[in-house]
Amino acid sequence: MSESSLSTEDLRVVAAPRPLRRRRGVSRWGRNVGYCYLGLVILFIYAPILVVMGASVDPGHFVSTRAFLQFPPNGFSLRWYFSIAPELWASLWFSLKISALSAFTSAVIGLMAAFGLVRGSFPGKALVSALFRAPLQIPFIVTGVAFLQTYYLLSANTGLALQGTLTGLFLGNLFVSIPYAIGSISVSLARLNPRLEEAALTLGASPWRALWRVVLPLIMPGLYGGALFAFLITFTEVTISVFLSGANLLPFSVYVFTSVTTDMEPTIPAMSTIVFIGSLLLVYGVQRVLGMETLLRSGGTSS
Amino acid sequence: MANRWNWLLAPPVVVSLLLLGVTQFVFLEKSFFLDLGLGLSGDELTLQNYVDVLTDPLYFDSMKLTVVLAFSVVLLSLLLTYPVAYLLTRMPPRLATFLLAAIVCSTFVSVSIKILGMVIIFAADGAVSGFFRWLGVIDQSLQIIGTIPGVIFGYIHLAIGFMVMMLFNVIQTIPVRLEEAAQIHGASRWRVYWRVVVPLSLPGVLNASLIEFNLLMGAFVTAIILGGGKVLTFPVLIQRTLTLFNDYGMAAAMSAVLLVIVLVINVVSVVCVSRLKLNLGTVA
Repeated sequence: MSESSLSTEDLRVVAAPRPLRRRRGVSRWGRNVGYCYLGLVILFIYAPILVVMGASVDPGHFVSTRAFLQFPPNGFSLRWYFSIAPELWASLWFSLKISALSAFTSAVIGLMAAFGLVRGSFPGKALVSALFRAPLQIPFIVTGVAFLQTYYLLSANTGLALQGTLTGLFLGNLFVSIPYAIGSISVSLARLNPRLEEAALTLGASPWRALWRVVLPLIMPGLYGGALFAFLITFTEVTISVFLSGANLLPFSVYVFTSVTTDMEPTIPAMSTIVFIGSLLLVYGVQRVLGMETLLRSGGTSS
Repeated sequence: MANRWNWLLAPPVVVSLLLLGVTQFVFLEKSFFLDLGLGLSGDELTLQNYVDVLTDPLYFDSMKLTVVLAFSVVLLSLLLTYPVAYLLTRMPPRLATFLLAAIVCSTFVSVSIKILGMVIIFAADGAVSGFFRWLGVIDQSLQIIGTIPGVIFGYIHLAIGFMVMMLFNVIQTIPVRLEEAAQIHGASRWRVYWRVVVPLSLPGVLNASLIEFNLLMGAFVTAIILGGGKVLTFPVLIQRTLTLFNDYGMAAAMSAVLLVIVLVINVVSVVCVSRLKLNLGTVA
């Protein structure tokens, strides 16, 4: 929005005449209260994660299902880190493969869709844009049920079994990842200064070369941001994946979910801590390379 | 010139239409057949599944609970996060970036892991219960798991990270100079918030709330774990119908009802937001 859109008339209404105050802006006291509040909210956000990290170093010999899960831990031991079951590693690897595939495909589809939406012009563009956003309007559980029933129908009629397979989980998660990738990429494409491309063309570059050497490098942050979002959505998503998982090899997030709801495996906190630190490093790395802006801009309100 | 770009839309549109159209068609079709068990479905089209969903008070109460739950979670997390997002936009950029990075990282932790942490905190012999006992407020253990407030708390926790990010984007677009101008004209700090910041961010705030609402209407992980089988939201019932009773026709009909309700709420809010935008005449 632009400042000029708020007329002086509006401002007069907003700020009815009052005696001028000496201090402008927020007082020091008010600012401190605000910062304290901010700190509390961040502590609140991180409390469950810290508790899980604490439980991961608890040396307790678990007797019943949840006996060992307590905070603060009774001591410090890394024993759970060394006894992580091979199935848990396998499920993590499975999840990483699905997420990488989803990230790559979402980025490619997002790139094409973003160029079409931002630079194309045809009647019904709003409709296409709405089609791309539709997966976010459908409740995730409905998506899960719909994909599951489609897979059943496919396997009954063609013998193609998708439930529990990498392809099956990938397609379900791709469906909800694409809108984020499109959003992230089209925002960076729309913000691109068109003069840069014009300059390249004026200086004798072919349109293809201008696209490849000027436009693409400039929208790379949006592309990486969209791919990262797709990766992390696929990796952390449970609601859809739980329906599309088979009996044997579960994606990591579903593995944790079933473990928490049925019988608790004591190595889950240790594995979760490893995964959390991994995603921390991933986000940190991406932020160092691309800057925070990219991550924030793809936060869902765009497109 | 422009036509060249249009063709790029073809593959994404085909993929989206396939994924969206096929799956939605299959499950909607399924909802019109009775499920006879053992993977067999009835031969004739019937509305029986829908009649069952719409007449049983169990489902009606559950839907009411789900909508009220989602609505209150959105409202509470909005109240909680709006000041945070505002502070983040008006603080030194380096610090804001660091804090935002911390919040963004937390949203990438799987729901299951966060809920696991909450289960530990809320357990009968957990930290929260122990704290209140230490204060002397209660003498037994505090029951949080399996109650509606517990589930609301869990959902708020999951919502706020995402909410801060979306609201930050919205409030960022309001220039500080507008606030300064209002203050120079004599408005008090509160008046600046209420008459400048809040109205200008309202369309964006409603948009963010709608996204959060949609996410909540389709989530069941928190309700299952923190609800302890006692908080039966509509998605929980769908999940049960599917995994416990294997009634696919019924689950499809329930999903269809949920879908229609969410879509209607979406359309109504989008219309409201566009009216609002017309009134304000501004704000993207």
